[in-house]
Amino acid sequence: MTSICMYFEVHQPVRLNRFSVFNIGNDADASPNYFNNKLNHEIFEKVAKKCYLPTNNLLLNLINEFDGKFRISFSLTGTFVEYCERFMPSVIDSFKKLFATGAVDMIEETYFHSLSGLYDDLDEFEEQVMMHRQMIKRLFNYEPKVFRNTEAIYDNRIANKIGQMGYKGIITEGTEKILGWRSPNYLYRPINSDIKVLLRNYPLSDDIGFRFSSRHWPGFPLTADKYARWMSRCEGDLINLFIDYETFGEHQWTETGIFDFLSHLPNEALKHEQLDFVTVSEAVDRYQPVGEIDVPWAISWADADRDVSTWLGNDMQFACFNELKDIGKKLKKRGDEELLHVWRRLQTSDHLYYVSTKGLEDGDVHAYFSHYDGPYDGFINYMNVLQDLKQKIS
Amino acid sequence: MKVAMIGWEYPPFKAGGLGTHCYGLTRSLADKNVKVDFYMPKTKHSAGGSGKRNLVIKEVGETEIFPYDRPEDKELAGQFFESVYRYNDLVVERVKGNYDLIHCHDWLTMKAGAALKEKLGIPLVLSVHSTEYDRSGWICPNDWFINIEREGMEKADRVIAVSHFTKGVIVDKYGINPDKISVVHNAVYPIGEGEKQEIVLFLGRLTIQKGAEFFLRAAKKVLEYEPDSRFVVAGTGDMLPRLIDQAVDMGISSKVIFTGLLTEEEVKHIYRISNVYVMPSVSEPFGITALEAVSAGTPTIASKTAGFSEAFQNCLRVDFWDTDEMANKIISLLRYDPLHKTLATEGKRELDLFTWDRVAEKTIDVYNRVM
Repeated sequence: MTSICMYFEVHQPVRLNRFSVFNIGNDADASPNYFNNKLNHEIFEKVAKKCYLPTNNLLLNLINEFDGKFRISFSLTGTFVEYCERFMPSVIDSFKKLFATGAVDMIEETYFHSLSGLYDDLDEFEEQVMMHRQMIKRLFNYEPKVFRNTEAIYDNRIANKIGQMGYKGIITEGTEKILGWRSPNYLYRPINSDIKVLLRNYPLSDDIGFRFSSRHWPGFPLTADKYARWMSRCEGDLINLFIDYETFGEHQWTETGIFDFLSHLPNEALKHEQLDFVTVSEAVDRYQPVGEIDVPWAISWADADRDVSTWLGNDMQFACFNELKDIGKKLKKRGDEELLHVWRRLQTSDHLYYVSTKGLEDGDVHAYFSHYDGPYDGFINYMNVLQDLKQKIS
Repeated sequence: MKVAMIGWEYPPFKAGGLGTHCYGLTRSLADKNVKVDFYMPKTKHSAGGSGKRNLVIKEVGETEIFPYDRPEDKELAGQFFESVYRYNDLVVERVKGNYDLIHCHDWLTMKAGAALKEKLGIPLVLSVHSTEYDRSGWICPNDWFINIEREGMEKADRVIAVSHFTKGVIVDKYGINPDKISVVHNAVYPIGEGEKQEIVLFLGRLTIQKGAEFFLRAAKKVLEYEPDSRFVVAGTGDMLPRLIDQAVDMGISSKVIFTGLLTEEEVKHIYRISNVYVMPSVSEPFGITALEAVSAGTPTIASKTAGFSEAFQNCLRVDFWDTDEMANKIISLLRYDPLHKTLATEGKRELDLFTWDRVAEKTIDVYNRVM
């Protein structure tokens, strides 16, 4: 038996207001007004209508239709849930309905979808994981068993910490960098912890996430029966398909046929006797690790490099990252709850993603996701905000 | 392949991007085994030999007109139009030989190009480096130029525009079929880096088109926050007296240096020592100066409508009228070293895509389409 483990990352970034050098230190006493609520609201509503609501609805019907044999997992970031509760509570309700079927699992992560796993010590990381745990407990009365860090960022240190915090499994990218010749379709064990590692099958995941509507791809057009056939030929215990949830209806528009694909997938997969679906918790319960992985330097699922250079790849990104960490040290001594929350929202990894200069000349995916006119504008705006926050606490 | 190319200026003597382009293009074409006879007016400064086997510089007659001159310039009054016609007639007379095509540049040579096409019965390629709309800063463009430009564009078998921005102008304002227009962005011979000083640089003709007045307004704002910064306005033009007055009125004249016309070596030097280059053009088909600045390791803030900013990723973009944002970006470059360093490094890397070799390759593609 080979189990299909489908998991969706659901996240919305905290976009910033335009903030010029002339705004720095202007109203030192007032609460900061860094976040572009109007834009965040607009984009959230748009994506909710195109993706979250219709996809949740489709998944609910599929789970009911297949009597729980179709099983999936979600990771909802704290920033995403804040938007839901603020702008469109019906979205959270629809996730609750999905969870109530018993065929849906929830995954832990840092509340702010941050890079705190890369800080010098892991206190802030642990606090953000605990915040996420409380949020999931509050919404679903459930404690996740499996953890996935921001964009699957992973190294030995993070794995060890998550093991210590009591989780049974952790998710990362199934890259050759750590696997060599070995298959991602099994569980592995970190060299320094007893936790089980789930590895994303990136060719199959990206067939849906990136290549689905690409006419230059030999696999085009991708149909559910073709895809199920590919999976049926896979060796191993597990096929981990980890996909951005916005793939459905947002990155891949309805017109591409992505919803038709999804709606036929359970039926086509279950036609193959050797395939079934599991949630992430079931995957770690059912299967045993077949080997060890050693990841001394951080990997992720981002870009072709599968490392952290997407967020920490140029001097501008390092400057912001260091500034952010310094501000945190000062803030924690002060104990100002409001500013602490502001600082944490500024830790959302997207702020640094926008400053990436990778593949700039090709105008690749980074530009698609950014509301700035390029990484340099992204840097200026973010750095100006950080300078203002720094002045507020000095 | 043998090309009769008709230009107006050629280094060492040049007034703008047209001359720079012709120099880089003809030399790279010659290296790619395209034979080029480059026809240009005789000037006080002799063009000399090309030093390339496939490239011959041919000077025809004398003229005092340059591509950026305006008929209202006093010294030329009365003889401006006559000079243009005289030069074009002379070119038509002098161009003889077995050519596969004619390639001419901008309005000054269009009449000759069109006449030669008929006379020799060979295809005509026209490069548009700027239009009358750009040169006038979109204020009262002169119909006399526009008509010459339109006629040339219509008669050309293919038009090369230096940017998509300019292609858009050619389509919208001159009614030319977009399928006939190829975009070939400009290139640069890198200048090399120098010891940087806290200098914010404007360099260009001081005409309405280049927007130096917006540079001064931004400078005023920057100086309120970064009083130690210095500003250089390099170049000359009809706006110079007004710009000096403007700097005095704003009380920043001690912080702004007007250099007047610079020699080629001085231009390179000022690029090398400047910390920030600003190109606030009201209308800029391409803006080779921005590439030159980048090649000297100087991060560049360019007008959003400039052809340069559509083609080049590692730069900062502003609306030319948004002097607050211009100041925001100048100050950011002065304050945030990582921004400056990344722009300088990534910018120089991107320059590998902007070589005259590539321009020549793309131009040869255009030649092949008309032959």
